[in-house]
This record gives sequence, structure tokens and C-alpha cells, in this order.
Amino acid sequence: MITEIREAVKEYLARDDVKYAIGYEKGTYGSKVAPSFAFSPKDVDKFIFSPLCINNLAVYPLLEEKLPLPRGQTAEKSKIVVVLKGCDSKAMLQIINEKGLSRDDIIIIGVSCSGVIDPKKLQAKFPNSPIDAAYKDGKFLLLVNGEEQHISKDELIFEKCKVCENPNPVIYDLLVGEKVEPKVDDFTDVTARKDDKPEERWNHWGQEFDRCIRCYACRGVCPMCYCKKCIAEELRPAWIGRSVNLSENTAWNLIRAYHLAGRCIDCGECERVCPMDLPLRELNRKMAKDVFELFDYKAGINLDGKPVLAVYKPDDPEDFIL
Amino acid sequence: MILPKNKLNHWLAALKKHDLFTPTRNGDVVLFSPFSGEKDVILEGRPTLGPKGILFPQTETLFTYRIGKNAEIVDAADKRTKRIIFGIRPCDARAFSVLDNLFKDEYQDTYYLNAREATTLVGLTCSQPNTNCFCTSLSGSPGERDDVDILLTDLGDGYYVDIVTEKGQILVDENYQLFSEVSDSDESRKEAIIADAEKSISRMIDSTDLPNKLGKIFESDYWNKTAMKCIGCGTCTYLCPTCYCFDIQDEIQGIKGKRARMWDSCMYPEYTIHTSGHNPRPARMNRIRNRVYHKFKYYHDNFDVHLCIGCGRCVDKCPVNIDIIDIITHVKEGAQ
Repeated sequence: MITEIREAVKEYLARDDVKYAIGYEKGTYGSKVAPSFAFSPKDVDKFIFSPLCINNLAVYPLLEEKLPLPRGQTAEKSKIVVVLKGCDSKAMLQIINEKGLSRDDIIIIGVSCSGVIDPKKLQAKFPNSPIDAAYKDGKFLLLVNGEEQHISKDELIFEKCKVCENPNPVIYDLLVGEKVEPKVDDFTDVTARKDDKPEERWNHWGQEFDRCIRCYACRGVCPMCYCKKCIAEELRPAWIGRSVNLSENTAWNLIRAYHLAGRCIDCGECERVCPMDLPLRELNRKMAKDVFELFDYKAGINLDGKPVLAVYKPDDPEDFIL
Repeated sequence: MILPKNKLNHWLAALKKHDLFTPTRNGDVVLFSPFSGEKDVILEGRPTLGPKGILFPQTETLFTYRIGKNAEIVDAADKRTKRIIFGIRPCDARAFSVLDNLFKDEYQDTYYLNAREATTLVGLTCSQPNTNCFCTSLSGSPGERDDVDILLTDLGDGYYVDIVTEKGQILVDENYQLFSEVSDSDESRKEAIIADAEKSISRMIDSTDLPNKLGKIFESDYWNKTAMKCIGCGTCTYLCPTCYCFDIQDEIQGIKGKRARMWDSCMYPEYTIHTSGHNPRPARMNRIRNRVYHKFKYYHDNFDVHLCIGCGRCVDKCPVNIDIIDIITHVKEGAQ
């Protein structure tokens, strides 16, 4: 699989209209895998693909800095090659549907993915160990300190992968890997606290939001968070106060959740990177479930789809309007 | 002195009359919080966030005010009530010593200094350092006693109590009946635990001549390459026990308001943007580079100490594996 990716990237890089490629490389310690940027064929040899490749790389084309140019100069218009797993490709499709990026700006190497390893589960099982992993017949081959470990895939796999309907990329220029059988996501796991009274639910989320340190890692890592100016930075008016306290933290987290309704493709990156371990996926999944039930819509899967909250249909449900 | 483990809760109960902060489980993370009972105290592993916020809160009200006819300004409450940070790790305590240089420099920051003066640090030896701990590279140690008032070392059945300062002596004297005498074997067990902990640290940096080295590679393309994977969040700076940058904001509701200072992060574009719209650090490259330079050059130029104590939290929690240990290693090699 990786040979195929490397060769394709090298071919793309040889083209005049391609500036660089984004993939994965081995990280600096433990089981870490890091995003990798290749400008020349030599850089491409660092690229890897394994069940430890968790980052959603769809965020990077959006992080391209468009700095002011000296008079007379125009911005370089060349393409970025990006390696995307199934879920990551949904983010890219959603961004393209929202016109956040133009399809012409991106070359996508889609990788069929049979699930990735949750680093928190891995750390709990094998703390502080150097770990490597590979795919083997759809299972994980795990090497801890160089020794093969026999551990079931279920114990290590990310929760999001257990309900993944799109292990095969939804948009790509080149598809790599064998097709993976999709799972069904009927949102049955989104039951948490459904039976709680509203105040119990409020208290629960209050305890969670109280921990938030407003580092905005959730926003930074999210491919769907690409507003030119985030509401968190607005000062006139300051919709969200800069004070870090329960009230403002709640405002931030709820506004972000609502802003992702009908847009979040459940890559789970926000929850993975949260240093305070806020269960952010739970919020986003609830939003996705509501959108699915109300509008029969899931984000990031329709090739010619318009964003659900940006269109009007005469038969849209209106029972929430009093 | 030795504190038998079954006496720990008695000591904590006695210390409770002051503002007592202990590492406490909160969801899946461990944070320094007001003591709520012995069962909530987590002394294993390194807390997710150090106790920096107890002396330098993430949001600190400087004064409150009312505008209009009956305008008035009320200073924030004096924070000189005695407080104890229990279970602080030697690296986090070292961070306070490093920060003291700044807060008591030309401008005396009374908010921090008063709180610092009123605080006693009861340290705990790190007997099991994490993968990314590198305190020994910055003249620290998992059993460093220089920056705490008391250092506890877990011997299994009890804690070896090393009293470092008078402040620490008071906490022991007030409860002398809980402590027993040290034997020679306790002494050597403690030494062995600290030596083992030091040995278990596998990641290192070489900080010699670093300010000078950094001075020569400011324009290196290395910074561009390193910054490409940065997503511009503030995790590294907010988890850092030595990052101290803050912003000052007024928050007004109706006619009442407060002026507060709150942690800010040099990783955000907003940190340096001018009113004109010009940003002297326009790209992530400028910001990452500045973070490294501030820690290992500018602060050292000013105070002769690095603004990093090697706790490794920024390495652990960076979403994209930007690794300060790796960066310093590259810098030493000329940042190619």
C-alpha cells in the first residue's frame, strides 16, 4: 500500500502544477505518527501508512497562509497533494461543497481504511512504550518494544471506526488499498443521558465544560473550522467572553457544536486532541443524529450536495417553529 | 522524618485549615484543585496541568467597577491567605522559581508575588517519569529539593519527608506527632528511588550554548518546515508551567464590569496583531520560532535561565507531534 502511495506522490510532485504533498511519517517517540510534508521525491521516502495514522490531513490545505504579497506579485496557483482516509475524505468533500476550497486546488490520494488505533487506549494498555503497527489481513499487527502483541482489534480501535460508513474515500483522484466493507451507523450509540432530566444533563455538561482551558485545539485540528475570523476572537461585541469560566466555556463549546451541525463528519479529531479530555464527539454525534432525523442528511457524502443548512426545501420540518 | 502512609489523611486533614490544593481526578485528567477528601487525591503520575494557575490564574480579576453616576472601582481581594500546594512535582516547582525572575523584575507583579509569598510547596518526588520527561537536561531532577519547601518521596510504606525551608518546617512542627524518625535505610532507599527515576529518563536535550546557537539560525528554513504541521492551537503554551503571557480585557455587563487578565498564547495570530491590521508575526513559522526563542534564548539572555523545565507536557499533548526535544536536537545540529 505504502509503495503505491509513495510512487503516486513522486509522480505528482514531478508535475509543474504541484507544490507539495501531505502524508504521514513516523513521529518522534512512542507510537506517534506525525503529519509529513514532501517537496521533493526524497521527502516522500519518509511517508508511511499504518493504523497509527490518525490525523485528519484535510485540515492542512485550509491552513495555507495567504500572506500579503508585495505589489505586482500574484499568489502561486499550484496544487497540494493530500493523503486522505475515508473519514478524512468526507471532510474534504464537505469543504468543497461549502466552497471552502476548490476541487481544482487539491489532488487527493484516497486510502481505504479498515480502522485506526485510539492512542488513549494504546497508552492505557502499553504506557510509555515504543510501538509500531501495521495492517495485516484487515487486522492490526501490533509491535510493542519490537515484540508482536496479540490483542483484539476491538480493544484498540477508535470508537468512531466502529460505526464508520465510509471506510472507502468518497472523493479522490487516486484510490489506494482494497475496498473495505462499510459498517452501518444508525446512531444507536447516541443514547447517552437521553433519560436524564434536563438539569442532570446540564450539570453533567457543566462539569465537562468547567475543565475546558480554551486552548482551541478542537478548533485548530478541525477541518470544518475554517472561518476567516472565529467568533471566539470577536470583540465588538464579544459574543464569547475571554474569561475562562463555566459560563464562557459553555458558550464556546455549544456555539462550536451548533456550528458543526450538518457539517461534522465525525473524524473525532477534536476529542482526540483535547488536552482536558472533553467528550466532544458526544456533542457532535448528537447534532449529526438530529440533522439525520430531521433532514435525512449526513455530512460529507453527497458529491453534488449542498450544505443542508444552506438550502431550503418546502417539505423541511418546521415543528420547532412555535 | 517519615510520614507513614496511614497518617497521610491525618496530615491532609490538618493542612485543610489553609487553602489546600491537591492533584485531583476530574474526568480523565488530573488537575490541582481545592482538597475535597483523601480519596480524590491522585499522587501517581504527572498531573495533566501543573499548579501554575494557583499562583497565576488563567483568569484573574484585577479590579471590578461600576460606571455612570455612582462610579467606583473596587480592587480585587487580597490573596495573602496562606495556601499549600500539596504534591507538586519538582519540575512544576522549578517553574515557579524560573517565573519569579520575571514577576519580581523591574516591575513587581504583586498579584503573583503576594500569592507566591503566601504559598507553601509540598513537593513529591517523581518516581516514575514519563516518556517525554527531560528535566535532567535542564539541571532538574525527579527528586530535586531546591524549589520546594518540603519534598516527599514515596518509600512504599511511608513518605520520606525532606524539610527544605522554614515554611516547610512549620507544616511539620504543627503536626509533629504524625511523623517518625528516619533510619539509615530510609535514607538510602530514598536515594535509590531518586537515582532510579533519574536513570529512567531517556529523552535528553543539550542546552549548552543554546542561546548563541539560536542566534545564528533565525533565518533558517527549518522554521518553515517545522511550522507546516502546526495547527495553531494553544495547547503547548497553556499546558506549559513556565508560559506566562497574558492579555488584559474588560468584561462589562450593564453598568458593572471587571478588568481581568487572562492567559494568552503566542501561538494565536491575535497575540501580535496591531490595530492597523499589520501583524509582525503573520505566519505560524514566526510564532513557533518565537516560542522556541523565547524559551531558549530571550529569557536566558534576560535572566540566565531557560524558560523550560523539561516536564514534556507540550510534547505529550501536541496534536501534531511538534516536539521541543526534537527541535532543540535539530538546532544543535544547525537546523538543517
